[in-house]
Amino acid sequence: MALCPFAFSGNLSKGLVAADAQKHTNLSSQWIHGADLPFHPFCKNNQVRKNTTGICATLSERGEYFSQKPPTPLLDTINYPIHMKNLSTKELQQLADELRSDVIFNVSKTGGHLGSSLGVIELTVALHYVFNAPQDRILWDVGHQAYPHKILTGRRDKMPSLRQTGGLSGFTKRSESDYDCFGAGHSSTTISAGLGMAVGRDLKGRKNNVVAVIGDGAMTAGQAYEAMNNAGYLDSDMIVILNDNKQVSLPTANLDGPTAPVGALSSALSRLQSNRPLRELREVAKGVTKQIGGPMHEIAAKVDEYARGMISGSGSTLFEELGLYYIGPVDGHNIDDLTAILREVKSTKTTGPVLIHVVTEKGRGYPYAEKAADKYHGVTKFDPATGKQFKSSAPTQSYTTYFAEALIAEAEADKDIVAIHAAMGGGTGLNLFQRRFPTRCFDVGIAEQHAVTFAAGLACEEIKPFCAIYSSFLQRAYDQVVHDVDLQKLPVRFAMDRAGLVGADGPTHCGAFDVTFMACLPNMVVMAPSDEAELFHMVATAAAIDDRPSCFRYPRGNGLGVELPPGNKGKPLEIGKGRILIEGERVALLGYGSAVQSCIAAAALVETRGLQLTVADARFCKPLDHALIRSLAKSHEVLITVEEGSIGGFGSHVAQFMALDGLLDGSLKWRPLVLPDRYIDHGAPVDQQMEAGLTPAHIAATVFNILGKAREALEIMS
Amino acid sequence: MSSTHIAHPLPTNRFSFPRSTRPLHQHPPHSISFRSRPAPLHIRSALNGTLSETAAAMSLYDLLGISETGSLLEIKQAYKQLARKYHPDVSPPVLVEEHTQRFIQVQEAYETLSDPRRRALYDHHVASGLHLAFAARRNGRFDEEMEDRGEWKDRWQSQLSELKRRSVQKENADGMSWGARMRRERNGV
Repeated sequence: MALCPFAFSGNLSKGLVAADAQKHTNLSSQWIHGADLPFHPFCKNNQVRKNTTGICATLSERGEYFSQKPPTPLLDTINYPIHMKNLSTKELQQLADELRSDVIFNVSKTGGHLGSSLGVIELTVALHYVFNAPQDRILWDVGHQAYPHKILTGRRDKMPSLRQTGGLSGFTKRSESDYDCFGAGHSSTTISAGLGMAVGRDLKGRKNNVVAVIGDGAMTAGQAYEAMNNAGYLDSDMIVILNDNKQVSLPTANLDGPTAPVGALSSALSRLQSNRPLRELREVAKGVTKQIGGPMHEIAAKVDEYARGMISGSGSTLFEELGLYYIGPVDGHNIDDLTAILREVKSTKTTGPVLIHVVTEKGRGYPYAEKAADKYHGVTKFDPATGKQFKSSAPTQSYTTYFAEALIAEAEADKDIVAIHAAMGGGTGLNLFQRRFPTRCFDVGIAEQHAVTFAAGLACEEIKPFCAIYSSFLQRAYDQVVHDVDLQKLPVRFAMDRAGLVGADGPTHCGAFDVTFMACLPNMVVMAPSDEAELFHMVATAAAIDDRPSCFRYPRGNGLGVELPPGNKGKPLEIGKGRILIEGERVALLGYGSAVQSCIAAAALVETRGLQLTVADARFCKPLDHALIRSLAKSHEVLITVEEGSIGGFGSHVAQFMALDGLLDGSLKWRPLVLPDRYIDHGAPVDQQMEAGLTPAHIAATVFNILGKAREALEIMS
Repeated sequence: MSSTHIAHPLPTNRFSFPRSTRPLHQHPPHSISFRSRPAPLHIRSALNGTLSETAAAMSLYDLLGISETGSLLEIKQAYKQLARKYHPDVSPPVLVEEHTQRFIQVQEAYETLSDPRRRALYDHHVASGLHLAFAARRNGRFDEEMEDRGEWKDRWQSQLSELKRRSVQKENADGMSWGARMRRERNGV
């Protein structure tokens, strides 16, 4: 049986190309019996094996990947990059294959970001082989592709704890390991940070290398250009690796399949990959030679050399103009090429900033990922052999989906409504909107600042823009919100998904601050639904608010199962009016957003101990329901405001109002429950709630503590 | 064979042609993605090889078997004859591949020579020594991509040598950038 030195994935793509689908399914039978093959488990026989039964089962039944984790003898000997230094290139290839299967099997058990990690396996191996981390700084933009990096840098045994409470972070994290030079989670920061590290190195007189890996999607963000602009000017030695896989949005696909990446930059990068000018020039040169004949051969050779020099010299105007020396494109799955280039660049002194354009394929090496429209970007636990993800079936849908449906219903009624997102068609649910209204959905790439000002511009023309940006990503666009939208009182609507704690993604994606930074703006209407029906109504409310900006926040997770408004069309709420959900006495819980549900649960807990709490849903943080607050303050001994946000948010606004209204001058006790003044680490949502102290039990205990019933408080908490 | 249908400029009113349901492969189907392309790889590369050989060997006139001063009528007659001879549908199975290549070349020759303007341009090129007849034709994005990748290595190798050259230049030149100043300090210059 022929042993081929190429990775499993490489053969697969060639296989798909050289054979038709029929043959492909024949070949798949070999992979299931991988254990029988002599050493190289991913090797496929180049000959086509006839399917003995004569009938090909469908791919999903057959399973195109191992069901058991194959042995990884070489990877088992590598704990740190230093153990890789003596490997031959063939062994590096084998290491890459083993690393690939390790990533797949690890992620299959924990869930996480798969596609991106698979695309950079060879790159990771090449980087750690050529460079000496941690002295050499290797930065990973966003960090979600750093799983192979983590495996190679001493954290392989901790991979089962990936994204779990108390386990490895799903992104790079400085406090986790010396090899993670810079924490990431949001995109487009590595060139900036890398430049900072390079300049710091120069100031300190050190001689290490700095390598920043950034994707073509992250390149759509302005910060990358700010960084390159500065890097070219400062001329400090550093290497930028542009990992180009033609994936800009998440997913780079609509509901019907893959699409071209948004943005003009992507086509510019594609043009760099095409060699037409050089080829045509070569053909001309060949033609000249043949036509003219023998003695002119030397001249013809010169023509060829000049042609090559001309074309490669003007390799890439875009980056060259910014002052980065461009090398590429390079096949990102060919370890020989990668190591050769990296070694050359490393050994060259005085390079200034260099950009290596590496072309990879997201999801490479795992057939299901390669074929999926979203390239298996983010997956739950799955079965490696069939690629089927174990999605727990919930009785309700996510808030994200409800938002999209609500917006569609509004847009059906009002043709001026458009939706804008920043490369997050899947995460914001706007792919659903895009399918229904393809010309009214705008994906601007990873460019939140531009998205907000773009929306402001639309609002000037009496369009009704809905900006769907995650709470934590909106942080990037804060000045645009203040200066371009709020200051001019333009009616832009902000739909902030992933508000509050978000679970496994951790603090980089946590939406802790949006109430604080939105509610302090003079013209902004700030509201939060307590359940999905309220979300529908708030979308309608926001659509109706046409004279000032508005925003609403909703958490990650599924709805509660309350009845939805008919036709998915909400009714605009009265602005600045909350509602009382449970009538009680002595203690009032005034919740904001999803915290209202915790309050209701707390009230149930407390009721068993003989106390009836009042639970109210504020709905609006700005403008506050003054009447509601006054009535609660006057008829209760204690008022507790609860929100899943940082200090300075809803509770602070309530306190400010009460103080100014004289409500705090009497015997009322006011207590705020907010997220603590520290970052909550990634973990299961339940664990995070515990850590933050916002579970129903915590709320109930707080009630008892204030009433002086310490014993009941302790009982509830244990 | 390719499953795309391409309209071809055969003057159908001139002669009857055994109408084939199999479309003629002529221009590359630009919209087909890399993966779903049905046509086998080996035919492409054979096509490539022969095309460039032909380009080197003969002019369009030789291909059609006429003199360089042939009239339009002669060109048309020659084309009809050769098209009938080399059309894949009437070729014996053994020779289908070779004949297909020929057919396409004949097709292109006819296209160029039957248009007076293009013929004039071609004649001018031949006179000035550039043989572009088959140069820029390529057989599809698929091939372009494969060829592209093959050429990448050459490209980045020359880029690396250029980088080395530049770095020497940078070291010797009296650079004023911040980075250059720091390097001088670090190297004790």
